[in-house]
Amino acid sequence: MAAPIRILTAVPICDGHDSAINTINLEFIRHGIEVIYLGYHRSVGDIVRAAIQEDVRAIGISSYNGGHVEFFGDVVDLLRKRGASDIKVFGGGGGTITHDDAEAMKHGGVDEIFFAGTSLTEMTDYVRERYGKPRKRAGAKSPDIELAWRLTEIEDGTRRSGREKKHQTSNIKHQTSRVIGFTGPGGAGKTTLIDELVLRFLNQNPKGRIAILSHDPSVIGEGALLGDRATMINSQNDRVFMRSMATRGQAGGLSPATDDCLALLAQSNFDYVIIETVGTGQEAIPFQKKGLVDLTVLVMNPDYGSRLQLQKIVMLDLADIVVVNKSDLQRARTAHTEIEQRLEQNRRNQRLIDTVAKRHRDPGVDQLFALICRNDQETRKKR
Amino acid sequence: MSKLGQVVEAVEKYNKFVLDQVKRARSDEQFGRELFNRWNETKAKTPVTHTPTGLPLPRLALPEIDEPGEIARYLFGEGLPGEFPFLNGAYREMYLEPVREIEAGSYEKKTSTDGAKEKTKGDDARPPEEPTRLFSGLMLAEDTNERFHYLTQHQRTHRLSTAFDGPTLYGIDSDADGVFGKIGEGGVAIDTVEDMVRLYDGFDLGSPNFSASMTISGPAPIIMAMYIAAAKRRFGPKVVPKLRGTIQADIFKEVQAQNETIFPIEASLRFLTDMVEFTTREMPRWYPISISGYHIGEAGSTPVQQAAYTLSNGFAYAEMFADRGVPVDQFGPRLSFFLDCGLDAEYIALARVSRRIWAIGMRDAFGAGPRGQLFKLHTQTSGRSLIAAEFKNNLTRTAAELTLAYMNATNSCHSNSADEPFTTPSEEWIRLAAHGQAILLEESGIFKHTMNMLSGSPGMKAVERAVEVAILDEFREIERLGGVLAAVEDRFQRSQIQNAAHRYEQQIYDGTRPIIGLNKYRNGEEDAPEIKLARTPRKKQQLQVDRLAKFKKKNAEKAKRALDKLVDVVERGENCFPALLEAVEVSSLGQITGRMQEVVGRFRPMV
Repeated sequence: MAAPIRILTAVPICDGHDSAINTINLEFIRHGIEVIYLGYHRSVGDIVRAAIQEDVRAIGISSYNGGHVEFFGDVVDLLRKRGASDIKVFGGGGGTITHDDAEAMKHGGVDEIFFAGTSLTEMTDYVRERYGKPRKRAGAKSPDIELAWRLTEIEDGTRRSGREKKHQTSNIKHQTSRVIGFTGPGGAGKTTLIDELVLRFLNQNPKGRIAILSHDPSVIGEGALLGDRATMINSQNDRVFMRSMATRGQAGGLSPATDDCLALLAQSNFDYVIIETVGTGQEAIPFQKKGLVDLTVLVMNPDYGSRLQLQKIVMLDLADIVVVNKSDLQRARTAHTEIEQRLEQNRRNQRLIDTVAKRHRDPGVDQLFALICRNDQETRKKR
Repeated sequence: MSKLGQVVEAVEKYNKFVLDQVKRARSDEQFGRELFNRWNETKAKTPVTHTPTGLPLPRLALPEIDEPGEIARYLFGEGLPGEFPFLNGAYREMYLEPVREIEAGSYEKKTSTDGAKEKTKGDDARPPEEPTRLFSGLMLAEDTNERFHYLTQHQRTHRLSTAFDGPTLYGIDSDADGVFGKIGEGGVAIDTVEDMVRLYDGFDLGSPNFSASMTISGPAPIIMAMYIAAAKRRFGPKVVPKLRGTIQADIFKEVQAQNETIFPIEASLRFLTDMVEFTTREMPRWYPISISGYHIGEAGSTPVQQAAYTLSNGFAYAEMFADRGVPVDQFGPRLSFFLDCGLDAEYIALARVSRRIWAIGMRDAFGAGPRGQLFKLHTQTSGRSLIAAEFKNNLTRTAAELTLAYMNATNSCHSNSADEPFTTPSEEWIRLAAHGQAILLEESGIFKHTMNMLSGSPGMKAVERAVEVAILDEFREIERLGGVLAAVEDRFQRSQIQNAAHRYEQQIYDGTRPIIGLNKYRNGEEDAPEIKLARTPRKKQQLQVDRLAKFKKKNAEKAKRALDKLVDVVERGENCFPALLEAVEVSSLGQITGRMQEVVGRFRPMV
């Protein structure tokens, strides 16, 4: 089966009209398309950077607040400037984009503009028809593009078997980055927490670079909504390389291609590589022992249910750091006490930290960040 | 139990009280007689007017009932217009033309209430204000100013309603990266107090016949400070307590539907409360918040969701302001509402029911006096119901919606222009939209002779009952989630609205929701309408950027000092509004937003 089509969708800067794009995203997903949704009020720079890193086939822009002729044009121009003209641009804006505007936009390099009254089927058919054929590309114009292409090749399994060996998980000799794995149940706030850590990293390391490999669930043959970028406002930065992956039918919170993608990222000169699993169940052990992950963080929601439920969570035995996020919730103190007891039984010197990731400058997140940095220095010494 | 839970209980209790009064009127003879006499007296005192054809009509229509139980059901359950629980109207007379000829009786003198006059027509003390208030904003401040003068040229009272462009709504400057094409699009570009001076040039901001409405929420406290600063520059500091108008400042609905939030929710609510604390004290004629369902409706909610979320947001604000220590009778009368009016059957009574729930909730859960019980409503016809295909049909859609809005006794109304699906409305279609209201209110006899002309039909009553039950169910669900703020953070309202929007689209595509000219009676060929588009020329956009650069250069040093002071106040958790008033004199919207975000962070979108 051919690999799913990946596209990026977004709403332009100073525009919060996301009703149409939400509906369209759902329709794309239903028809087997993987949609990386960047959200609303996004700049040209954010859109183009994300499209390149995610190596999507096309960008769909939904604009309802005017200025579309300039905005679409700027996206096309910046793609060209960055050497990524193979990424196409399409979009719509109900009745706000006139036929004359659309002509001008197409003249400027936009593939297609959909008008009010276009059926959802028409749009999905267009995307599958137009962006479903394999691309032939050579000579990536920048290191980010090169990296993005290689990730695509790994994910879609199109790389020739001889060269693929280079990225086997067993080979960790060339690892240049610290790899931190984040896992935990859905809704615990992993994404927000990671984004807050990224903000601290960027502020503290003016030249540092970070990579994020983020996962969302999908079933074989169906699409996926990869929406982490929309909430990760601090991670939309030139020093952050982010890649969103669908699990494409694999259980356990990661994709079949994760190990190889992670290996590639870990030897690509980032200071840190962060890997985030999908929301996991009690039995999940997403990160293998002796794998690439140096440090594992389990993010918990205080509302996990009874103490008995807690006993069943396997990752509590394996994680290096356990975070109780949303510690402003009523149940957080009970959760802290119960998890603390559980960790003490393990006698593994696991650390427990309470955070409120949604709060700006949260002291708990500061503490977690300091702990990660310290752990980093200690391990580097040991090596 | 949160205040919302108490509101649900209060409404249930009140409904039971009404039933008890009905029973009592039937069993307690003296009580029944009192009601009967009061009823007859009210009817007898109702003035009679004559239509142009000579038909005599009462200025207030009442149901033909003479049984004490039914009279009790009406008087307690609905209330006469202007009487608790205000189902029939916030005021006694609305939209009525001046008395032509009074044949019998007259109303007893009503005690004067100051705030109550803001949006009424037919109030005796002051020449009545036209209910027409047209939303407008385009290009630069001077262009919108010109449009304002055009719109109000024939009006006694000048009621302006201001639309801002994208960068302003997001609290960023016109020179910000990548926003050039958005300058002046969809609204007016405002970066500095100097723009604000230009925007309302030529209008007497302190006059009792002037009021300004500003549709902006995320950066509302900053824009409010700019408005005050601009007024002071033109009229001196004494103008401040005289300023009349409304600023939207509705953070909850931004997070739920419209997505124009710039600070995290709690910080946004804090800055809002800072502003409300200031304006309720210093500007007693100002409405510092317009609790808005319009954008919830436009984002795709059902009408019931629109009303339920709007009301519950309102009660949550009331709880917040009360917690800050602002007395309920100080802020209560300064709250106003804004609803969408579309073509679904719920709209026959949506605002009527909302008015009733608000009054009962404010009286019984918050202890508000009569002025704080009023649900003062601005309505806008549904923009979402208008489509590009065969767009002249939009005139009919808007006319039907306008009729519904006035049947609900809205206090003011905006009628959309038929060309809105493609562009900022052009003058031709704006004129037709405004004329639509005049035709309904002044030309037709539907609303000008008799209050209650179309109220209380069996169908309307059926809608009222169904809508009230559904709204209370929504309240219970929000209460179960821990109240409004908790539900918002849980994305409850957002996901409900998105679901409803998706269903609406599906219904259009599968034809269960007929849209004439789109999925039914479609004209074969798709011809683009000949519309002259209102687009902002690049030259103007550049002018705005240049002016801003000049302002920043001129004030560079002073701005730094004022902004440092502002940051300090925000950091310490004090009321930041006075510091904002100083900061806007020398710094731009974007500069202020940026520095405040340093302290409180940026809003993290919910998907």
